[in-house]
Amino acid sequence: MRVRIVMELKDVPGQLLKALEPIARFGGNIQSIMHQHERKTPLGRIPVTLVFEIGDKVRLNKVFAALGAMGVTVTQLGEQAGAIQTTVMLIGHIIHTDVRDTIDQLNAIKGVRVSGMGLAMGGPGQESSARMTITANDEKRVRAAVSKLHKIADEKKLLLLTSLEAAQ
Amino acid sequence: MRITLIGFGNLGRGFSRTLVQKSDFLRRKHGLVPRVVAVVDEFGAVVDEKGLNLQALLKKTELPGAKKGKLALSTIADVDADVVLELTPTNIETGEPGLSHIKAAMKAGRHVITSNKGPLVVAFQELTSLAKKQGVEFRYSASVGGAVPVIELARKQLAGNEVMEIQGVLNGTTNYLLTRMGEEGAPFDMVLREAQELGVAEKDPTLDIGGIDTACKITILANAILGVNAKLKDVRCVGITRIGPDAIRLAKEAGQTIKLVGVARRGLLSVAPRLVPLDHPLAVGGTLNAVTFKLDLAREISIAGFGAGPKETSSSILGDLIDLHRTLGC
Repeated sequence: MRVRIVMELKDVPGQLLKALEPIARFGGNIQSIMHQHERKTPLGRIPVTLVFEIGDKVRLNKVFAALGAMGVTVTQLGEQAGAIQTTVMLIGHIIHTDVRDTIDQLNAIKGVRVSGMGLAMGGPGQESSARMTITANDEKRVRAAVSKLHKIADEKKLLLLTSLEAAQ
Repeated sequence: MRITLIGFGNLGRGFSRTLVQKSDFLRRKHGLVPRVVAVVDEFGAVVDEKGLNLQALLKKTELPGAKKGKLALSTIADVDADVVLELTPTNIETGEPGLSHIKAAMKAGRHVITSNKGPLVVAFQELTSLAKKQGVEFRYSASVGGAVPVIELARKQLAGNEVMEIQGVLNGTTNYLLTRMGEEGAPFDMVLREAQELGVAEKDPTLDIGGIDTACKITILANAILGVNAKLKDVRCVGITRIGPDAIRLAKEAGQTIKLVGVARRGLLSVAPRLVPLDHPLAVGGTLNAVTFKLDLAREISIAGFGAGPKETSSSILGDLIDLHRTLGC
């Protein structure tokens, strides 16, 4: 299973290495580490986002127990989620242009999944709005998904709103 | 400092009022005594080489005692002035009449300050080259961001940085419409009518809601700050006419909002409604403008403020004027 966690570390040398040890010990395979030194918490801790593969839930719980024992706080946990999420918005005749096909085309990209959707139906004849969360294994796949969505939106005459932080 | 003022509409009058109100301040604080020696509008011109009484001019709806006719070009050429302030309305297709005014002023060896986007969008490189050739200063802070010192901040204080990208909410009208739809859940047409009644939107709002006004500003920023020879047609432009309150509500549920954002970086100029996190510096409300610079040294710098209004825009024009005074000592 793929796991994404955010943990908070004390701002002293060697903390990150110590915190990674239990993951390796229980057979985890670390895929990305984001150390956000500039985003210190009010208590002076440093948030670190980790993505790793690990065999099963039992091993994951052992990792958490080990982290807890060394005083590391895990503040967020996203199980089986990809590393990266982006939110986009579609406006237009979303249902009538086959929303299932839109989702299928995105899910067909390897490492990309439409993981959430919020929909507001317009009145009769009016356009609808849909918020879509795309989860992907890495930045490159997010860009591939957004670029695919640009093409779909063009074909289906939908307006695509991307996140300001996403590649256009 | 002798000034010829071209354009005596909303902005020309607003700026004149500012000069009257701040005359003591300007002398005391900056040693600047601005003397407006000519005022021209589309109907005529008044000239007094000793300095016009702006207070008296402001009381009249038309320029009193003006010589009638299209006198801008001859006034610019003939009346001895250090600076020409070009504050006529914007025409983004031809740049006129501002473009001819600015060229005439530069050819006559006069420094130019303008708020007019038209000439900058149509002929940015031509005008900056002409200014260089003629050895005159050319300032246009008020053309983008109203009171927000976007261009001068980038060119002066951030001069040591490479600017990788500029992102901006640069149109007060569309930002007002998006803000009101978000607050009230009211449909686009209704908030547009409200904005028109308040004078926040024009009777013909096409240039604003179609994103063209923002695209003009992105064109100017790309030229002025990134040094790219960009034209309006190079900007990929989508407006906000398809955005409704539902979309904004859905965005809000995910901690985001919708803003009309202009982006300028080398190889990409675009204007489009974008999802912006609610805690992002560009998530400003009402008619506010905001700009974020992405930089190699400073990383990110954002500024926000009032993007329109004669008094607010006068802040930028006066800033340019004081800067010329300091640079040139006139």
